[in-house]
Amino acid sequence: MSNQHRIFQNALVAAVGMLFAAPMLYLLLLSFAEGWTFPHLFPPRVSAGLWETMWGREQGLVGGLLLSILLSVVVAVGSTSVGFLAARYVSYHRWRRGLLFLSYIPFVMSPVVLGACIHVVFIRLGLVGTVAGVVIAQLMFALGFAVIFFVSFWNAERKSLEEAARMLGATTPQTYSRVLLPISRQPLLLCFLQTFLFSWFQYGLTLIIGGGKITTLPVLVYLYTGEANIYYAAGASILLMLPPLVMLWGNRAMAVRFGR
Amino acid sequence: MKFLALLSLLCLLLIGCGKTTADKPQSVDLAAASWEQIAAEARGHTVTLAMWQGDPLINDYMKSYVAPALQNQYGVTLNIVGSQGNDIVSTLMTEAEAGKEASSYDLMWINGETFYQLRQVNALHGPFVEKLPNAAMIDFGNRFINTDFQQPVEGYECPWGNVQLAIIYDTVRAPIPPRTRQQLEEYVKAHPGTFTFDNSFTGMTFLKSLLIDIAGGEQQLAGPFDSAKYATYSAQLWEYINRLKPYFWKEGKTYPAAVAPLHQMFANGEVNFTMSNNDGEVDNKVLQGIFPATARAYVLDGGTIQNSHYMGIPKRSAQKAGAMVVCNFLISPEAQLRKLDPNVWGDGTVLDVGRLPDEWQQKFRNVPGRKYAPPRQQIQPKALMELAPEYMIRLFDDFRRNVIQKQS
Amino acid sequence: MSSKSNLDRAGFLLFLLLAILPMAAGLLYAASYSVGLAGLLSEGFTWEYWGRPFQEGNQIFASFAFSLGVALAATAITLLVALLLVLTVRRSLDSGLLAHLSTIPLALPGTVLAFVILQWCSGSGIAARAAYALGLLQTPAQFPGIVNDQYGVGIIIAQVMVGVPFFALLFTQLWHSQRISQLMELAQTIGATRAQRAMRVAVPLLLHRAFPTVMLHLVAVIGVYEVPLLLGVQSPQMISVLTMRNYAMFDLQQKPEAFICAILYTLLSLLLIAIAWRRMHRMDHEQSA
Repeated sequence: MSNQHRIFQNALVAAVGMLFAAPMLYLLLLSFAEGWTFPHLFPPRVSAGLWETMWGREQGLVGGLLLSILLSVVVAVGSTSVGFLAARYVSYHRWRRGLLFLSYIPFVMSPVVLGACIHVVFIRLGLVGTVAGVVIAQLMFALGFAVIFFVSFWNAERKSLEEAARMLGATTPQTYSRVLLPISRQPLLLCFLQTFLFSWFQYGLTLIIGGGKITTLPVLVYLYTGEANIYYAAGASILLMLPPLVMLWGNRAMAVRFGR
Repeated sequence: MKFLALLSLLCLLLIGCGKTTADKPQSVDLAAASWEQIAAEARGHTVTLAMWQGDPLINDYMKSYVAPALQNQYGVTLNIVGSQGNDIVSTLMTEAEAGKEASSYDLMWINGETFYQLRQVNALHGPFVEKLPNAAMIDFGNRFINTDFQQPVEGYECPWGNVQLAIIYDTVRAPIPPRTRQQLEEYVKAHPGTFTFDNSFTGMTFLKSLLIDIAGGEQQLAGPFDSAKYATYSAQLWEYINRLKPYFWKEGKTYPAAVAPLHQMFANGEVNFTMSNNDGEVDNKVLQGIFPATARAYVLDGGTIQNSHYMGIPKRSAQKAGAMVVCNFLISPEAQLRKLDPNVWGDGTVLDVGRLPDEWQQKFRNVPGRKYAPPRQQIQPKALMELAPEYMIRLFDDFRRNVIQKQS
Repeated sequence: MSSKSNLDRAGFLLFLLLAILPMAAGLLYAASYSVGLAGLLSEGFTWEYWGRPFQEGNQIFASFAFSLGVALAATAITLLVALLLVLTVRRSLDSGLLAHLSTIPLALPGTVLAFVILQWCSGSGIAARAAYALGLLQTPAQFPGIVNDQYGVGIIIAQVMVGVPFFALLFTQLWHSQRISQLMELAQTIGATRAQRAMRVAVPLLLHRAFPTVMLHLVAVIGVYEVPLLLGVQSPQMISVLTMRNYAMFDLQQKPEAFICAILYTLLSLLLIAIAWRRMHRMDHEQSA
């Protein structure tokens, strides 16, 4: 590789890296800025006032944060465990292909549009405006992903391993606890993290099914971004980004499978 | 096995969460009950209020003042949720379609066109306002309060505040703001890209004010919807707007979706004007440091619309007594006075100050004055009545059809 | 079938109950609403609402065309940039600096992403201020309309920003799993130039393997909501935004149109998923063959 080539490559890496990091840096700067309007390229005044008042005045943020965590954990645990089992059923079923196709529908379709359609069903069931309703609605979409994710996991290799265990006399619970779960630890974690993120990012669906009552962090952030005060929006956005960032950094492999 | 445990845990969680909404049903006949009975009935219950939550100061007034006061004085818990206008209508409609017994909301912050739609689908409880002891102090003689979009209120919604549309400008960027339709045309042609209005409630109220001006005064369009008059005058309005359109922000090809983004653009220096349905909002925004201290508000010479905003109770609410207690508190002199202060909110009162006890009259007269908005007495003569709600609904549709979607 | 346990069956039943059943019920309700069989204002069966998309001035088809156009443009640009990155700085994406930084855009929820793009690209945004500092413009109005514009440029920028790191990482993984390095070396031994190796070996192979993901990505972009809500224009609107507008309109007569939108959108998505699906199966056969 020529020297010139290497310099070019390093410059490109730096430029692309800057672009990737820019949103986070910008939000951080904006949350400390004051009076940062046209034509100021940089904040004319800097203050930490926002971070001080944000917790005091808008107590909703702490509540929203806790609610979001609870919701995302329940959705992730639910969809990962149910998806793990359902995928096994699907992958050994004679209608494997048809069932798998069904799972793709909630996986890629717009949660908002499907949300409008299921709104009335959820009202009839008394689920609108409840945490349970939002959990179930998000599970619908997260489950589609989990089933697709685990169907590719239940392949011939796993099947033969399972049969071997059985031949050696293991019962079903034993097969699960001694053989299947240990080898599934990594995929289970991956699926958990991804469904957690799906739930964490959800805005439109939460808004429809939550009826405005379930104010998760994304709902609050949208409220602020729609407001005249952009500094609040920046602060709330950073709170919203931190958990996914930590998770993605912790496990980069999952990033690739996470489409949206 | 872990999974079975996990699964049952999940099911338990879901069932547990699902039950939280169950509350004991109302036992008192509200029409016959005395106020003491209603207040007793309300104690210990939670009232869910649906309101627009776009303003931190308003949120603060509700959360840090109204909610604690209700809890302390009446034992009523106030649960505020974000929803407004058409979202409320579509929720209540879907609830009716699904046959839901208890509505998700017990009280809603609404105004004219929502009131009209909710009455249309018979979703409002009432009449209830005369039951409220504090309603005796409301200025029901005022036509801007007793009539909402040309519809008599008739006790189906409780007045809460009274405001007038004002244009907000920056004295540095636009030292001489346009005060008439003619001046506005001259201004935008001389300063292209610096003026727009939102494609939502405030912007449509602005268009309605222009429509009244074109028609030659509010008497022309008073009373029920007149489609012949609407056709004549709206054609002139669209002709006028389309003439100015190329000089609007983004050449009039799109408009801010709501008034808050318009505020953002004004604060950022992208446009020279914004507007507000609340004549006092400019003070509130300058105090928050969002608008520059050089911002001022004014009303057009042709007048701007003044209207009131109200509280309504859904017919399917399970907490009507509690909702009435909340309403009664919101129209108390104490709550109304606090709301009037520009440092708190700057929302006009619906009370007839002359009917209040002397000490309260004193307090109302000594509210710290507005610094950036014109005094109320100055803009009152230029106040226009709201038109019948069909005008608003038609303007929304026709603005989209005749202006936004029109290729220029 | 000895390998099927009751536990699996229970899991599958829950999947049906929680995911498939409500979805089917919702779509069924949408269908009946669109032909006047459900709803507060319904007056019995009618095809009237289905005639509306064909009336002059109706936005439904324009909205579909716009959504499809934006999604195609965004996906095409995303793939182009991601391919270029993989071909030039793959090592850094693999384990270097970019490997870490590329996760940042992936942690951006649509709401925040749209907000940031708006602050950067609006007439008074950071880009405009830079242009002002360079003396290229004097007022915000002179800045070209990138957000809230007729062609959805703002929406496309936002989607490219999250799409590029995603596909760059996907391509990096495929590079390993498809042993592209070895294939490139092989091509070099038979005398292929650098450009030839990239264009004839790496790019076709990467695109071929990523095709199903590309199609699913396309479906996802067609349905985005939060981003166009902030960065779009009032006409034409992306499908999700239009559906929600019709769903909660001042004019209550518009509600059936929301469901017509939803059904048409579902059909379009199913079609695209089916295309992705067929290719996936063909690839499964290739793999096992």
